Amino acid sequence: MSRLSLEALTLAQGGRTVLENISGTFEDGAITALVGANGAGKSTLIQAIMGLLSPLSGQVHCSMPKERRAWLPQQLALDLTFPMSVEELMLSGCWPTHGTFKRYGPQDYRRMHTIMQRLGLSGLAHRPLGELSGGQRQRALLGRTLMQEAELLLLDEPFANVDTHTVEILCDTLREMASAGATVIVVLHDMEQLAQLANCVLLLAGGHGQWVEPETLLERHHAPARRHAHAPFISLNLPDVPPCSTY
Amino acid sequence: MLDLLTTLDAWLVAPLTDYAFMRRALVGGLALSLAAPPLGVFLMLRGMSLVGDAMAHAVLPGVALGFVLAGFSLPAMSLGGLVAGLLVAGLAGSVSRMTGHREDSAMASFYLISLALGVMLVSLRGSSVDLTHVLFGSILAIDDTALWLIASVASATLLVMALIFRVLVVECLDPLFLRGQGIRGGLVHGVFLGLMVLNLTAGFQTLGTLMAVGLMMLPATTARFWSQRLEGLIGLAILIAMVSSTGGLLVSYHLGLPSGPCIILVAGIAYLASALCGHHGSLLARLRRRATPLETDENTCTP
Repeated sequence: MSRLSLEALTLAQGGRTVLENISGTFEDGAITALVGANGAGKSTLIQAIMGLLSPLSGQVHCSMPKERRAWLPQQLALDLTFPMSVEELMLSGCWPTHGTFKRYGPQDYRRMHTIMQRLGLSGLAHRPLGELSGGQRQRALLGRTLMQEAELLLLDEPFANVDTHTVEILCDTLREMASAGATVIVVLHDMEQLAQLANCVLLLAGGHGQWVEPETLLERHHAPARRHAHAPFISLNLPDVPPCSTY
Repeated sequence: MLDLLTTLDAWLVAPLTDYAFMRRALVGGLALSLAAPPLGVFLMLRGMSLVGDAMAHAVLPGVALGFVLAGFSLPAMSLGGLVAGLLVAGLAGSVSRMTGHREDSAMASFYLISLALGVMLVSLRGSSVDLTHVLFGSILAIDDTALWLIASVASATLLVMALIFRVLVVECLDPLFLRGQGIRGGLVHGVFLGLMVLNLTAGFQTLGTLMAVGLMMLPATTARFWSQRLEGLIGLAILIAMVSSTGGLLVSYHLGLPSGPCIILVAGIAYLASALCGHHGSLLARLRRRATPLETDENTCTP
């Protein structure tokens, strides 16, 4: 079953067509890796799925309500000088149920503490965001999406500049969310993480998209993961590989 | 002892008990001190500290137009200031969205045009004394109408800030989160700028158009040296603004100086003192931090 699909989607950014005629289905409970060189249109596609960018033509069919779609932006997009604590950030994930006015209740705090424990953030509730390490901050942001009970989760390079402990926690949590039925889409650069995490890959290159199995992609490039850890797709054209089963 | 009390009474209490205009000025100043500093805190945190200054200049042609058309009438001048301020904020926002240029460049352009227009209007009609009055305010001119205006603006500001507080906080940290939730950040931003213009307009009578922004920004930037929490920043900023208003008014009364600059200078002294010996990021705090040895962090250093 699927609650998110793309139909002949063409997207433009600043008057320039970035992606053309992309179709396909994101399965519920699957983790899809979004892969492509810088400027291939990964963030543009995420914006369109979040409903923040109108397509030039085609459609995004998404039956999940807006408030259950969560986007974990790159950390650079956040203003970390703003005096907000981990607790306040995580509670802002209650937005769908609480909006602007409703008071946070004891059950919200209980839920928050459970999530913090799960993400290894216990004891940091009152720490300002600016004093956290990159990894702790990323976990706090994921905590917000858990508070939000997101059914669709889009992550833009979540593993950039974070420690291995955080990578493990993030991967485990994403798998748990997916097995609970959430649709997870994650922008990845690292082949090793792709092999561990993704059930399916949407490869973006030259303005086109192609769905492939992660194994096929890994075999095709004979990727010794560590050698290709950071920019494995820079010179990639669409490879001739069998399509992913979810297509 | 009795001498001391008499001196204190003569300095601090007598001006207020003896003169109604001082009481009005104090009430007006305290009301402004409740409403303007929270706005200043958000402006500072959003890196828009100078936007308040730009808007204060932008208000001027409206005030001047009110003055040219209706003479020294507070409602006319306030209304003019409000319209001019909102117009400049709106135009700057629209031009920035249409052209993709940064909002501060659009705002700088519009406020300069607006300021030039204002100065020209005042000089066409009034004398230089009038211009000084509009620019720097005068406590003698605060009548009941002015007090009502200031009190209404302050109440409305606190109410609206309470309503949009959570949105404003989330929008400052991560605007995309709100957009994802279907909330238009631009609308919140617009309401916020509107509140700022309202406060500048309300403040120009006591402080003058150019000084009004001082009561908004200086307490906020001072509080930054003492607190790292949002609630702390807002509470402290209000307290500093109230003390500055009261202190500035008294200094202005005793030394026969204009009230606006006196109030802002008292706040300025608080800022400089805090920059020297505040709790966070001040000169003294930095020196102290260098002197303390490395702390062992129990989370990372357990053997």
